[in-house]
Amino acid sequence: MTFWQFLLADLRAIVMDKAIAITLFGGVLFYSVLYPLPYLNQVPTEQMLVVIDHDGSSLSRRLIRHADASPKITVTGQVSTIETAQSWIESGRANGLLVIPHGFRKDLMLGRGSTLSYGGDANYFLIYSAVVEGLVSVGLDASKYVQLVGLLAHGENAKAAERSLNAVKLNSVPAFNPSLGYTPYVVPGVLLLVLHQTLLIGTGILGAGQWRNQGYWRRVSPLMLISGRICVFFLIYTLFTSLYVGHCYYWYGVSVQATLGQVALFLLPFLLSTAVTGIAFSCLFTRRDLPTQVLLLISMPILFVSGFVWPLELIPEPLIWISTIIPAVPAIIGMLQLNQMGASWVSIMPLWLHLWGLFALFFMLALYGVNWRLKREPNCES
Amino acid sequence: MTSLIRRELKALWNDPWQFALVTYIPILGIISLWWLFSAGMPRQLPVAIVDHDQSQLSRMLARRIQANPAAEPIGYQDIASAKRAMTQGEVYALVVLPYRLKRDLLTGHSPTIEIRYNSQFLLVGKLLSSQIQLSLADGLLHVASKKQLALGVPKAQAEINLRPVTSQTTALYNSNSNYIGFLVPPVLLALGQLLAMLVFANSLNRELRLNTMSEWFSLGTRRVLFAKMLVYTPLILLQGRFILAILYQFLNLPLAGDFGLLLVAQVAMLLAVWLLVLVIFFLLQDCARVISFCTALFAPAFPFMGITFPTLDMPVLAQLWRKLMPSSHYIDTHVGVVSYGQGWDTLADQLINYWGFLFLIPVIIFLATRVKRAHLADQSLSPEGAK
Repeated sequence: MTFWQFLLADLRAIVMDKAIAITLFGGVLFYSVLYPLPYLNQVPTEQMLVVIDHDGSSLSRRLIRHADASPKITVTGQVSTIETAQSWIESGRANGLLVIPHGFRKDLMLGRGSTLSYGGDANYFLIYSAVVEGLVSVGLDASKYVQLVGLLAHGENAKAAERSLNAVKLNSVPAFNPSLGYTPYVVPGVLLLVLHQTLLIGTGILGAGQWRNQGYWRRVSPLMLISGRICVFFLIYTLFTSLYVGHCYYWYGVSVQATLGQVALFLLPFLLSTAVTGIAFSCLFTRRDLPTQVLLLISMPILFVSGFVWPLELIPEPLIWISTIIPAVPAIIGMLQLNQMGASWVSIMPLWLHLWGLFALFFMLALYGVNWRLKREPNCES
Repeated sequence: MTSLIRRELKALWNDPWQFALVTYIPILGIISLWWLFSAGMPRQLPVAIVDHDQSQLSRMLARRIQANPAAEPIGYQDIASAKRAMTQGEVYALVVLPYRLKRDLLTGHSPTIEIRYNSQFLLVGKLLSSQIQLSLADGLLHVASKKQLALGVPKAQAEINLRPVTSQTTALYNSNSNYIGFLVPPVLLALGQLLAMLVFANSLNRELRLNTMSEWFSLGTRRVLFAKMLVYTPLILLQGRFILAILYQFLNLPLAGDFGLLLVAQVAMLLAVWLLVLVIFFLLQDCARVISFCTALFAPAFPFMGITFPTLDMPVLAQLWRKLMPSSHYIDTHVGVVSYGQGWDTLADQLINYWGFLFLIPVIIFLATRVKRAHLADQSLSPEGAK
């Protein structure tokens, strides 16, 4: 059997095998839609706020109007006690509460100071931070308004008064993901993980179904089998990766900083090392339903140790060490730095070499594994 | 029935992978996921500080950031190197204290302090941005109050003049904003649902793999299914109880309601999972494909739970898909019981929300009869063919 014949036979085996074809072609398309789906609206807006206004003054009403006008908050109602407000939150009618104390306006006008209380449902951090951010800015505005009124009343001129209130400006600006959107945050990492996992599953099912049986894979040397299979999966995954890193990034508004050449060069060892890891991994199985199960169970941990959901600095060291043998981890970290954060090629070079190192390591393991599997007698039962 | 249950238990004992799925894999998975998030709160995250002013004031501000538990300032000489550190993910934020900061402030100009935060890591970036702003504002307030005192304003009045409206922010239900309380329960729940799905799918697949479908049908389709449910529901429930024990007894996270409610809600969730798996099993009748399909269905359960991203802000299609996931129904009960201490009446309302899954029962009956008929036809054909 020549190399080309093997390539064709392997490609045929992948496309004709329903379980593999569904995972590769169906899964890759399905996940590209399903994973980002919840986040399409990008930022949480108009979180429901319930107000307890003990003051009932012109200033407190002004404050409520301001809160309602904030894009992050919508005032859904006013109640008279904190208990009622809490029951609103528990029944899902509100996400946060604002308490305006008795004598709010009077105290401020007399220069006595007053305290606003905010509460948010911290079961949902994104909602909580939206409520608190919205309310803090409303509170600061109220503060400034009162100060301004006070300064003007003391006879300061309006411009000087403005300036003394804004003595130092704090200009906090997001870098890299300027819209603060949730899809550009989640998509780059998750899509790379989907590529990684489906590739491993595809090679896993293919190998697990073949080892004990007779077939074209027994007519070639292990070295040829591995190189050929890498070529076939690399070919298929070049298409999938182009779809993900090209079209999906564009579609979901992911910011892209690196050049096409750099991205391609970086993803080359990622695809190669993942393919060969899959072949080595497939040698552990002879049951076709097992590789998917094992990979499914380790998907979430892989996502979390790649450091964009939960900072790497806080993950226990031993987990980090283990994660270095998974091709997806350096690939996700490197791609985020290179393509989303605009790091230079030199600075991600260690991760690129790391991927080549994994390629070499798993190539040896695959060679050993395939050799071992093919030496055993074929078994007639499927 | 006892013999059927024994049949199931024997099968479980003889399948090392299935046995692992109900024993040590959940324990390993649960512990490693908890370990991953065990830090609980983002703290001492590296922040680059470029101090162009090098004054007493700028150093004081840097110390304020240092005093914030979330941030760990690292000094950089110039913006370029700080920027490089940020693009390589070495620091999560960058603060530039401008040249002449102190002088501008004292001479009545208003200087700008630039803060850049890494919003590619949204969670960490936003947290740092607000913490850094708080620390700096606090430091600047300190300076301004000195200025007021110098003008002869009494100390108490100076404080009020600077900040007439103070605010008191309370994080309800998760009072110290701990990520273990926020993120770990839904993550473990997603894992639990995956394990439940795999265990049940494997127990069904085994009949295919070992060619015991006809044995199943002769023993009674429904009775074998009940035996499977009777064996696996308590086993998976035990895993669920283990998760709850880790979270609310070992880690002592606050729990307002009762364990009993949560366990009842878990049973409802498991039954819904069983129904979904049964539909897929009778539809596909191939081990690898059943697993692949169930995986496709259940793997993305986590983002749809609405914990990390609010449900009401999801598009309609996502909200519909969410309804299809048993775990999304369960998580509502979980939050309700754990945080709001809701009782049995609310639970009853929530259980009614599972009604849609009942439509799967006739579908399963239809598919199962079809599979059974095909098997019987096969059987009656093959002995005759042999003759």
